[in-house]
Amino acid sequence: MSLGQNADEETVMAMKKKLRLNYSPAQRLWFYLSDLSPVSIQSHSNPDAPLYLKNGDYQYVEWLKFKHKSIVLKKPYMGRSFQSDKPVLEILRRKLVPTLILACSAIGIASIIGVLLGILSALNYGTFMDRGLISLSVLGISIPSYFSALVLAIVFGYYLSDWTKLNITGPLLDVSDVGEYFINWKNLILPTIALGIRPVAIILQLTRNSMLDVLRADYVRTAKAKGLSEQKVIIKHALRNALNPVVTSITGWFAALLAGAFFVEYIFDFKGLGHETVHALTMFDFPLVMGSVLIIAFSFVFVNILVDILYTYLDPRINING
Amino acid sequence: MSEKKILLEVKNLVTEFNTDEGSVKAVKGISFTLYRGETVGIVGESGSGKSVTSLSIMRLIPSPPGKISSGEVIYHTKDGRQIDLLQIPEEEMRKFRGNDISMIFQEPMTSLNPVFTCGDQVMEAILLHQKVDKEKAKAITLEMFEKVQLPDPPRIFDAYPHQLSGGQKQRVMIAMAMSCNPDILIADEPTTALDVTVQKTILELMNDLSMQLESSIVFITHDLGVIGEIADRVIVMYQGNIVETGDVLDIFKNPKHPYTRSLLACRPPLGKRLSKLPTVKDFMRVEADGSITELNTSVEEAINKVVVSEATTKERMEKLKEKTPILEVKGLKTWFPTNKNFFGKTTSWVKAVDDVSFQVYPGETMGLVGESGCGKTTLGRTILNLAPAHDGEVLFEGRDILSMNSADLKDLRKDMQIIFQDPYSSLNPRMTIGGAIQEPMSVHGLLSNEKERKDKVESLLSTVGLDPNHYHRYPHEFSGGQRQRICIARALALNPRFIICDESVSALDVSVQAQVLNLLLNLREEFGFTYIFISHDLSVVKFMSDQMIVMNKGKIEEMGIADEIYNNPQKEYTQRLIGAIPKGELGDIERRIAASKRVNA
Repeated sequence: MSLGQNADEETVMAMKKKLRLNYSPAQRLWFYLSDLSPVSIQSHSNPDAPLYLKNGDYQYVEWLKFKHKSIVLKKPYMGRSFQSDKPVLEILRRKLVPTLILACSAIGIASIIGVLLGILSALNYGTFMDRGLISLSVLGISIPSYFSALVLAIVFGYYLSDWTKLNITGPLLDVSDVGEYFINWKNLILPTIALGIRPVAIILQLTRNSMLDVLRADYVRTAKAKGLSEQKVIIKHALRNALNPVVTSITGWFAALLAGAFFVEYIFDFKGLGHETVHALTMFDFPLVMGSVLIIAFSFVFVNILVDILYTYLDPRINING
Repeated sequence: MSEKKILLEVKNLVTEFNTDEGSVKAVKGISFTLYRGETVGIVGESGSGKSVTSLSIMRLIPSPPGKISSGEVIYHTKDGRQIDLLQIPEEEMRKFRGNDISMIFQEPMTSLNPVFTCGDQVMEAILLHQKVDKEKAKAITLEMFEKVQLPDPPRIFDAYPHQLSGGQKQRVMIAMAMSCNPDILIADEPTTALDVTVQKTILELMNDLSMQLESSIVFITHDLGVIGEIADRVIVMYQGNIVETGDVLDIFKNPKHPYTRSLLACRPPLGKRLSKLPTVKDFMRVEADGSITELNTSVEEAINKVVVSEATTKERMEKLKEKTPILEVKGLKTWFPTNKNFFGKTTSWVKAVDDVSFQVYPGETMGLVGESGCGKTTLGRTILNLAPAHDGEVLFEGRDILSMNSADLKDLRKDMQIIFQDPYSSLNPRMTIGGAIQEPMSVHGLLSNEKERKDKVESLLSTVGLDPNHYHRYPHEFSGGQRQRICIARALALNPRFIICDESVSALDVSVQAQVLNLLLNLREEFGFTYIFISHDLSVVKFMSDQMIVMNKGKIEEMGIADEIYNNPQKEYTQRLIGAIPKGELGDIERRIAASKRVNA
């Protein structure tokens, strides 16, 4: 594939060996896992062995040395991209940063707006404003992000671009006309909005429902009977109790955004993890796809652990050991 | 209390709620006066408007749908001003709330915010109304905790509500309410959700505090017995109106309104054995338009009509014991693991039921009484194999329930049923009541077709005193008492012979409780049921049971004939349970009033 159509037998063999394509899938899986593991048994004497230590891919410290093998501590190694022959980890690390920034800004803005609108909606329960916000949020939930992304890109990046000064597409790490890299914050705006619409809508509804429950609770009545002002009752006593389900949803979305801003990144040509993964898929660049799937899975787990810890701060009834 | 100073005047208060069927007046123009330093009890059943009255005074009626449509609430301040609390702006009102007028609610479990420490919540009120810094506020809080007799105030200060018991939480609520030395303390059913023993200590505490701090208390309850323990004056409310007011002794000695009489009579009396409890129906007839016809019955007449002689009781007991026991419990242990070691082996246990043995005869009612946490509910569930037993045997007609396979157990469920405590949460809100009653019959394949089952459900509904036409209604359309009747009908659907009633009347008003207890007794006569009747209230258990077991910390403290245990309790624990029951006897009330006069003099 990466050699072109006119490669001779020998080169293909060499390439196959390098990419370990001459082993069975089960063996390849074993090699991959061994590469990922921070502790592994590697061969240090046979350069032809698939787990040969000194081929420059591993950053390691030798721990125990035997006759042919040694046990080493090393950085996880995800192989090299078929396409560019660069280490997968390095490619993904570079692409992860813009995605992380995009996810953070989208979810951050969505949380703030969603929670505020949710409270507003709950306090005006049954009024025109409440119904209006709910209708809008249903609309927001129903629009797929790739559709809203396209609409946003065309309207604000093209038709209104003279006024908004926004580009229709563009990465965060942009190249200027003279070839210098610079961070183009403007390119963050439209993807953030496109990604944020659905979370805003869902956070709004969750906050509203949960607030409505909490506002009827006995302890809110107690707080009012103490003589606290409406504002203080809502922000201090009600909101903190209402936030639990909202936090679950926010973090769920955050993890999902880290993973799956595929469409939106692709549409805006925002060169992040999602963009890279889609690109790798079209190129059959399997190490890269595997690597990004792993990173996505890892970030899901990581975010969820973080949430569990956060819960114990939000609600003292939850015991992390129990 | 020679010169009575007026503290609060309520004049022609009307509060209404907008519902789907139009506006409903919960309080229909009531007027009363509260004097400085006195304790007024407002008594009435749920829906009588007593809680709405208190919330109206605080202006805490949830709005919408509620609205105070007219009336005045005039508060006389210490410096002689008169303020109509219903007219002042909201910000002004806030300064009175928690400072001059404070409130304690019914449910200590849910009335404290779960995410803040108890100390923070009490301090919040102090910081709001008094010009003190945090340090001082903490000192006041700790002092208040001391006053409400909480153990180890510094620990409670940092504890979250879920770490405390119900009684302790109510003490924290009281500390919060009293922290700013209010003129008026409104207590809305503060002891209803608590055990009788805890109730007694809370009542004593409130009596003490009102004397120490010279606050007036408005004490709201459905139980006249409790009123007798605490109030100086009584206001009786019925369907949004005040039907009777008077000094507590007058009300108890000489109740004028038939409703007051029925409230006095419907509490299970301790000294006598009755065949059924007098209810509101024995004292007055309520017409369809809500008007009342008095039946001119006195409390004594009503009780004397149903009293059972000792000889009859003895005879019944002897007859019961002739048969072989229907249920035998031998050395039953239910232990729950609390700690496990690394290998998953349990290192320590909570012994909820610890080596309990007893026998129940067919047709008998076995009473099970004890404080919450004594293991009585777990015992009931273990007998039905709903909680795992650790050791022991439960023989139902000679067969061991604990070692049965699931098919046999399913068969057994037909014979043994349980009625739970909370009629609100033990019915599925999305199932019609007809469906709920019919479900167990379909599961067990009773009766051949839907039509027959439906007929059976309708006849069950009329057996428990409900309208068979309500088949298609949902649980939320019924009151607590009606829901408990539905639960009873559901238990009856399988024609059981043995029913466990687990605190089945604890969540109900005394007047409704009397009706449900009567229903259970009628069913026992009609169908020859055997009951295990579980409750924390010894008076209710004694009324229902032939034999009684007093449980404490998972073990049987005392067991025997119910009347004998009451008349001659052997153990100190039993005596404490009996002592905690608010009896509402004249002698006790006179003694209490005399004592409080001595303190004031």
